[in-house]
Amino acid sequence: MIAIQKEDVNIAQLVTEARKPGTGAIVVFDGIVRDDDIREIELEAYTEVALPELEKIAKEATAKFSLLHVDIVHRIGRLAIGENILAIVVSAGHRQEAYAGSRFIIEEIKVKVPIWKKELTRDGGRWVPGEHSHGSGKTV
Amino acid sequence: MTVRIRFFARFRELLGAESMAGFKDGTNIADLVRSVTEKNREGYNAIFDESGNFREFVILMQNGKRVDVSDAGRTGISDGDEIAVFPPVAGG
Repeated sequence: MIAIQKEDVNIAQLVTEARKPGTGAIVVFDGIVRDDDIREIELEAYTEVALPELEKIAKEATAKFSLLHVDIVHRIGRLAIGENILAIVVSAGHRQEAYAGSRFIIEEIKVKVPIWKKELTRDGGRWVPGEHSHGSGKTV
Repeated sequence: MTVRIRFFARFRELLGAESMAGFKDGTNIADLVRSVTEKNREGYNAIFDESGNFREFVILMQNGKRVDVSDAGRTGISDGDEIAVFPPVAGG
């Protein structure tokens, strides 16, 4: 399941469904809204581009790390402290591939997928600075 | 001819989520973004530097595909295109 959604994600169900034949390891990454002296966060996506990008990352990870199953569910909208932001569930024959595949997916999401986070505080809000690795030239 | 311009995150707060803009033949992406943002000083300054060049972190897309800001001045647009302008991504 690859999705961008407002609703919460049932991680237990994803783990159950990730038990494909040949599975020896399942790794779950659950990104959670941290209490950094904020009220809540707001997530925004360029969904028409972000969703195919997530699908591409899942496909690449599957091929690169021989994964048997990949789920990526990224939430958008307003989320309170402690809520799930992002769930990545991968299964593989062995732990090495499962860990490496999961790590690859989160690092790729951080730099490639057009999604943004704003931390809402008592004084207003601040956008979380993104990775600059795909910024580009300085002249036009 | 018209194109749809979409802004995201901080740029959306300053410039609005989207607008439709008319253009003449030979218009490039850089000219288009300039013309749409120039009446909004804060929005313009968020995207362009003092010399009128794109700030180095600005990301541009034409119909969902990345266009390097250094190529925006020579990348033409076509009727019905969707141009997206946004700051570095911060998902996950």
